[in-house]
Amino acid sequence: MYGFKAISYYNGWAMALTGALIVFAGLVVLSTTIYIFPKILMLWEKRQIKYKMPIEVEPEEQQALSLPKQFPSDINEIANLYKPLIEELGETFYLTDLYEISKKYDFPHPHITLAAFRDSEILIPHGKGVFTWNQPEDNEKE
Amino acid sequence: MELLFQFLANTGYWLADYRQIIMIVVGSVFVYLGTAKKYEPLLLVPIGFGILVGNIPFFKGFGLGIYEPNSVLHYLYFGVTTGLYPSIIFLGLGAMTDFSSLLARPILMLLGAAAQMGIFFTLLSALALGFLPKEAASIAIIGGADGPTSIFLTAKLAPHLIGPIAIAAYSYMALIPVIQPPIMRLLTTRKERLIRMQELRAVPKKELVIFPTIAVLLCCFLAPASIPLLGMFFFGNFLKECGVTDRLAQTARTAIIDTATILLGLTVGASTQGDVFLTPKSLGIFLLGAVAFSIATASGIIFAKIMNLFLKEKINPLLGASGVSAVPGSAREVHLMGQSEDPENYLLMHAMACNSSGVIGSAICAGVLWSFLLA
Repeated sequence: MYGFKAISYYNGWAMALTGALIVFAGLVVLSTTIYIFPKILMLWEKRQIKYKMPIEVEPEEQQALSLPKQFPSDINEIANLYKPLIEELGETFYLTDLYEISKKYDFPHPHITLAAFRDSEILIPHGKGVFTWNQPEDNEKE
Repeated sequence: MELLFQFLANTGYWLADYRQIIMIVVGSVFVYLGTAKKYEPLLLVPIGFGILVGNIPFFKGFGLGIYEPNSVLHYLYFGVTTGLYPSIIFLGLGAMTDFSSLLARPILMLLGAAAQMGIFFTLLSALALGFLPKEAASIAIIGGADGPTSIFLTAKLAPHLIGPIAIAAYSYMALIPVIQPPIMRLLTTRKERLIRMQELRAVPKKELVIFPTIAVLLCCFLAPASIPLLGMFFFGNFLKECGVTDRLAQTARTAIIDTATILLGLTVGASTQGDVFLTPKSLGIFLLGAVAFSIATASGIIFAKIMNLFLKEKINPLLGASGVSAVPGSAREVHLMGQSEDPENYLLMHAMACNSSGVIGSAICAGVLWSFLLA
């Protein structure tokens, strides 16, 4: 048996339609759950804080870096701004650490910048996510 | 002299059949593509070598072939026919998967759902071409672009088709760079390809830890037949994220998945014995597999375009193509296509979100189809 006749005979239309609906419904429910998930977590954490004794929190260390309002477009100038972060991380460091710390200091689009550093060989990979900084001296700010 | 003739009559040179020669050529092409061209080498090399091993002519009845009971290959093939290897591979896959991009942008999960439409369209096409429902469902799952899921479902519904279906599924996965880009170009305008995605938020560890637990419950309550795949997948992911079982997660994503991949690839390859494999049905499976894969890609892209009609913040429709679960091949293609239009457009992480939801979607599809045809 072939063609539409075979599809109808084996209940193909119903199988395809129901199957597609189930899969779609499943993933919609899952994505909705993920969407509301952070909100539930936040509510839960707020509730926990409410019932906890207030504890003295040490004031956070003030950000030592001041970033220019107009971020430079030249890769070497951007690299100069990243220099203090590299000094904080040490000679060799994980790229993920550099990414985290640049996000902490509100550097704009850190993943794009780090990719550009890699392309221009300012970041030198040593395998397993370990990198070193390789900014030529004459490009550094005096 | 008689002994010598008897020996010669039992050698592969004497027993060779043209179908085995054809399959040996196919196996050699797979090995070549895997090693020289580096097309999915982790899949094509074991499968290709398996095709060579499985098609060496031998005297039937010696307990050598994969279909002969008590042969070593037959015991190794047990992991395929029972769906054991795909489950183990899913464990490792879960331990490798990072859901942070999906959690940061849950709406991308819908693209993973849309790309599964290729499966249901192919189900209808296969039925129309005269395949029986269980065979049609096994062929249709190729549209999910997920090798282990295809093998798992076929092992349950149509074990006699494991060889051609696995070969078709893995071949199309390896051919992603050839199949997907023309469809992506055809269905999107340059303006659409230039759409930049918003930077993803940082996902707290707590969300990453709780997600696999919630996801396994939601998905497996909906389609319990997908427990062997999704149960293992989310368990692997929980091992990775919970922070106290790093050693287990490390083993799952290295030694365990590698062992399963080797055995699965080799035995699936060996199951393609010329006399069993070279049939008109196999040709039909290959044709339908290509249709399934192309429609899956297209439906993801078209759905992304439909979503853009309603969304304030537009989605790059290329991402729809990564809704198929070929991880990370299709995500890489989407990223490269995006970068070819705008070198500063980074779509990889967003594409990985669609990719991982595609894995979940195709496993649910497998569970749904299996439960429809269980009787």
